[in-house]
Amino acid sequence: MVDAYRPDTLKEALKIRAEKHAVPFLGGTDLMVQYRTQAGVLPAFPSPVLLLGHLKELSYIREGDDMLYIGAGATLNQIISHPAVPDLLKQAASQMASPALRNMATAAGNIGNASPAGDVICVLTVLDAVLLLGSARASRTVPLQEYITGPGASVLREDEIITEIQIPSAAFTCTMFRKVGTRRANALSKLSAAAAAESDRGRIASIRIALGAVAPVVLRSREIEAQARGIPLKELSRFSGELAARYGRLMQPISDQRSTAAYRRRTALAVVEQFLHQIAQEG
Amino acid sequence: MAQVVMMNDTISSSVRRVDAVEKAGGYARYIADISFDQLYYGKLIRTAVARGYIESIDLPEMPSEYRFFSVDDIPPGGENRIEMIKSDWPVFTNHEVRYCGQTIGILVGPDRQTLCSLAEKISVSYREEVPAMSIEEGLSCLGGPIHGDDNLYADYRLEKGDADAAFRKADRIIEDVIETGFQEHVYLEPQGITAEFRGGKLIFHASCQCPYYIRKAVAPSSALDPDDIIVNQVTTGGAFGGKEHFPDIIASALGIAVLSLKKPVQVLFERREDMLWTPKRHPSQVFFRTALDQQGRILAMDIDARINAGAYESCSCIVLQRAIFSVNSVYDIPNVRIRGRAVATNTVPSDAFRGFGAPQGIFAAEMHMSHVARETGADASDFKRGYILSKGGKTVTNGTVHEEVKLESMWETVSRESGYYEKMRKYPKGSYRGIGTSWYLHGGGFTGSGEKEIINGRVQLRGYADGSAEILLSNVEMGQGTATTFRKIAGKVLGLPIEKVLFQNPSTARVPDSGPTVASRSIMVVGRLVERAAEELKQRWDRKSEEHAEAVYEHPPWVKWDQQTLQGDAYPSFSWGICVVELAVDPVTLEVETKGVWAVHEIGRAIDEAIVHGQVAGGIIQALGYGAMENLEVKDGRFFQHTLSDYIIPTSLDFPEVHSFLEENPYEYGPFGAKGLGELVFDGAAAAFADAVEHALDRRVSRIPVTPEYIMELITDE
Amino acid sequence: MNEIICRVNGRNTSFTVQGIKRLLDVLREDLGLTAAKEGCGEGECGACSVLMNGKLVNSCLVPAAAVHGADILTLEGLRETDRGRCIIEAFSDAGAVQCGFCTPGMVMAAEALLEENPEPSAEEIRLALSGNLCRCTGYDMLVKGVGLAAERGKGLW
Repeated sequence: MVDAYRPDTLKEALKIRAEKHAVPFLGGTDLMVQYRTQAGVLPAFPSPVLLLGHLKELSYIREGDDMLYIGAGATLNQIISHPAVPDLLKQAASQMASPALRNMATAAGNIGNASPAGDVICVLTVLDAVLLLGSARASRTVPLQEYITGPGASVLREDEIITEIQIPSAAFTCTMFRKVGTRRANALSKLSAAAAAESDRGRIASIRIALGAVAPVVLRSREIEAQARGIPLKELSRFSGELAARYGRLMQPISDQRSTAAYRRRTALAVVEQFLHQIAQEG
Repeated sequence: MAQVVMMNDTISSSVRRVDAVEKAGGYARYIADISFDQLYYGKLIRTAVARGYIESIDLPEMPSEYRFFSVDDIPPGGENRIEMIKSDWPVFTNHEVRYCGQTIGILVGPDRQTLCSLAEKISVSYREEVPAMSIEEGLSCLGGPIHGDDNLYADYRLEKGDADAAFRKADRIIEDVIETGFQEHVYLEPQGITAEFRGGKLIFHASCQCPYYIRKAVAPSSALDPDDIIVNQVTTGGAFGGKEHFPDIIASALGIAVLSLKKPVQVLFERREDMLWTPKRHPSQVFFRTALDQQGRILAMDIDARINAGAYESCSCIVLQRAIFSVNSVYDIPNVRIRGRAVATNTVPSDAFRGFGAPQGIFAAEMHMSHVARETGADASDFKRGYILSKGGKTVTNGTVHEEVKLESMWETVSRESGYYEKMRKYPKGSYRGIGTSWYLHGGGFTGSGEKEIINGRVQLRGYADGSAEILLSNVEMGQGTATTFRKIAGKVLGLPIEKVLFQNPSTARVPDSGPTVASRSIMVVGRLVERAAEELKQRWDRKSEEHAEAVYEHPPWVKWDQQTLQGDAYPSFSWGICVVELAVDPVTLEVETKGVWAVHEIGRAIDEAIVHGQVAGGIIQALGYGAMENLEVKDGRFFQHTLSDYIIPTSLDFPEVHSFLEENPYEYGPFGAKGLGELVFDGAAAAFADAVEHALDRRVSRIPVTPEYIMELITDE
Repeated sequence: MNEIICRVNGRNTSFTVQGIKRLLDVLREDLGLTAAKEGCGEGECGACSVLMNGKLVNSCLVPAAAVHGADILTLEGLRETDRGRCIIEAFSDAGAVQCGFCTPGMVMAAEALLEENPEPSAEEIRLALSGNLCRCTGYDMLVKGVGLAAERGKGLW
């Protein structure tokens, strides 16, 4: 039997985390599935559980100067309905899971689960999100792209929890989120893609692309993005195949119970090309 | 408000289902909701390899209230077999392992947490053998034959006309292979049975379709007289064939434990357990060779159908029969040779699932007809219309279609409602927009002579002194509405409002055996018995004292059938349908968006229109799942997709509303003219979907599910 | 063990259970409220849906410790209200009930939707029910049932 801790404050939570290495538990929509057993039997958690979802100190969404701060406890539905949340993130959150799950699941939890198929991870990577990791000792910030190191793996220390997601403001002229799920609702992603671009006087000023579920971690390449900078919009379609192919060389899609490597590869490239055509049209 | 069935309403007028408020209000009690005093719990312990021999079983130290029952615990006089259609499926393994998930034993105790941890500590060692998992591997007897010397539970051959002569005249031959995969029922309520020993009787409370099947199945191993075994059906949360035979497997193991412990024991499946270890729809492979004349007319077909029956026979021979009887769908092909084989493999035995071989046969028939049409440059639907059966036409078993066939007027309705011809013009082949159709039929009742020879169903009607009546029969309400429709039938005949007609979940202690709740027979066959018993009761009952009436099954006299040669009228009647599906394929992701679904069905007469349309919508969506998204693979001897997040069934957002139309054509031997419904509505939609994708891509679709991954293969092979 | 103090169907309730025990098991086994069903245990089917602090949740994924201080509404509570009766009657008249196993979850999802949006379109209804699986009805009559409840229940939400 493992203990379930329900601290009254964040400070207390961090203390328990340090002392007991209890696993951080926000909405629980991944953990309760992962450790499920059957009716009348407790979920088989291997370590104590630290409940955080109820803490008001974590369930905020607030704007700062050029930054949006999303507390770890903010649910997907809170994220979807908050006016300051970037549209890309709202799209990803609203296509995840189901209405009931969106009332419980959190973006921080999706990051904590560190699945390559995590839809908000893909979008937050494009948005250059930074995580605030808190512990009883100190806090530190880690860019999201450095936080996840592999499927289910991260740099989170045993005494830390994700307390906040920070999203720097950015102006984009064109954004896209595409999730290819196993069906139209309540679906795990076969692949996902998020992209944001800014054009200036008919040329690409900046472009960001992230692909989910085609590699062990969300795929984003600043080298390829740098190569796209300056390309005139009128010529973007000509380059789109070549740019997409560069992503193709970085992808390592797998075949699993949901889809095949070949489909993931083909479709991820097609989605990237579609986005580039979209920018070319819309600017 | 509840509507009373008045004398001047037609039988088809919709009423509120009698169990609706009870279910919607959360009052209905399913097996997991029912508590028993001093209840123990049972966990089935299963084989972890697909083929081989058990060398040893190591049990952990167990507290005294925990016990493990297996083959050695079958009581004296009992046999290690489950009495089903055949008795080849043992209650417990006796060293031989034929599939991954086979019951080795049942672990029983008072606390589920302890039960789980004890179960994990049971260690079984095997001498593994090479399993045969696919149809090809089964046919080639990979690893040696599992069954007999050729791995065939059945090898049937049918001949209609003179195929050899017709092939000699062929101008060209079109070959085709059509395949369908496994499908999981996903009844929302997982399997569950509680058994107890009370008053000298072994009593089962089961979520099930066939209480009398369980009784029969358990008798040999329990060494009890069937009268000492009672089966009570408990309100059942969906079944679709998945609770037709499989409860026998649970009950026979559970019965051994209860007979020994003399305590009530409950077995409830967790969803993964249910998805991994219960039977699925038979995968199929159908090979066609079709001879055409110079004008592109079909002269003959040579058909070779195989189904993956799995490790034990169960009902596979009957599924195969229905599959091959359906493999020309609604068409009258003049010369046909059919071979059908049910192949033994080391998968979980395949078993009943709505349609029972017909979806596989019809999918093959429809896709092949579409392929032939396209080869000849014809519109698929117009091509098909050139072959449809009419009254007096011959079936593949050289039987006769005894009824008027209304397909032409049904086509008129559904093609108009769907805008089929305009859309065919508007969406050229390969435009990534498509519209497709399927034409299908379903024979009502048990295949062949089963209704008379095997079932011989009986129904009893009782009239009570207070003026109410009760229907006693063994068919169950499992969502398809029989609790309401049986009462409507009796009420209409007796002139009673539905509230005064009782129907309870059947118990074998109280009701006669009217047969299983399968084969779309509940209304057509059993409802007819209700009608006849009610007519008889009406004559004799004064409404002030108690009176009983019974009706026993009578085969329509004009039905001629030879079960040995499989010749004649396999079914006394057919129900008919046409389904139209319109869709768009996303060129970037190859995902399919279904834009519209239309279907017209002829089921004789609707006993309740709302119930019929509800069955249509449910069956079609379930079939679209089969056709579009329900991918179930076998890997390492077990089902790869075994959670609801990996095995994808349709949500409310996956398909649009189904536009459902009915055509009337009363059948003399059905109650108020009604024929079978429950499976017909599943049989066609997958083929309509696949046909629409063919048109959208201008590529041949030869298997389901038509996933984006399969579409990619189709467009990549340039 | 955790001592949980909360409100269930309007009544102050307390129980002492392992904190990670599922709310679904607490409801069904400790409190005898069996309307919420176990269909999958993985948050996919919605048969276990209840309202927690007014929000639709899958009780198979909620640990008891998270319920401390919360307001839980199950179908047993909802059916005693005018809203609940309206939905139940509408479902019954629309033919939305077949085997009934998904229905309690669907009723809760309908309540959650109408609380938020008393005049939903068919598309909005389908979205609101998209986390509740049904294998019997094909969803059409469920959608009609929710629409009928909205129509008849003007003023209730």
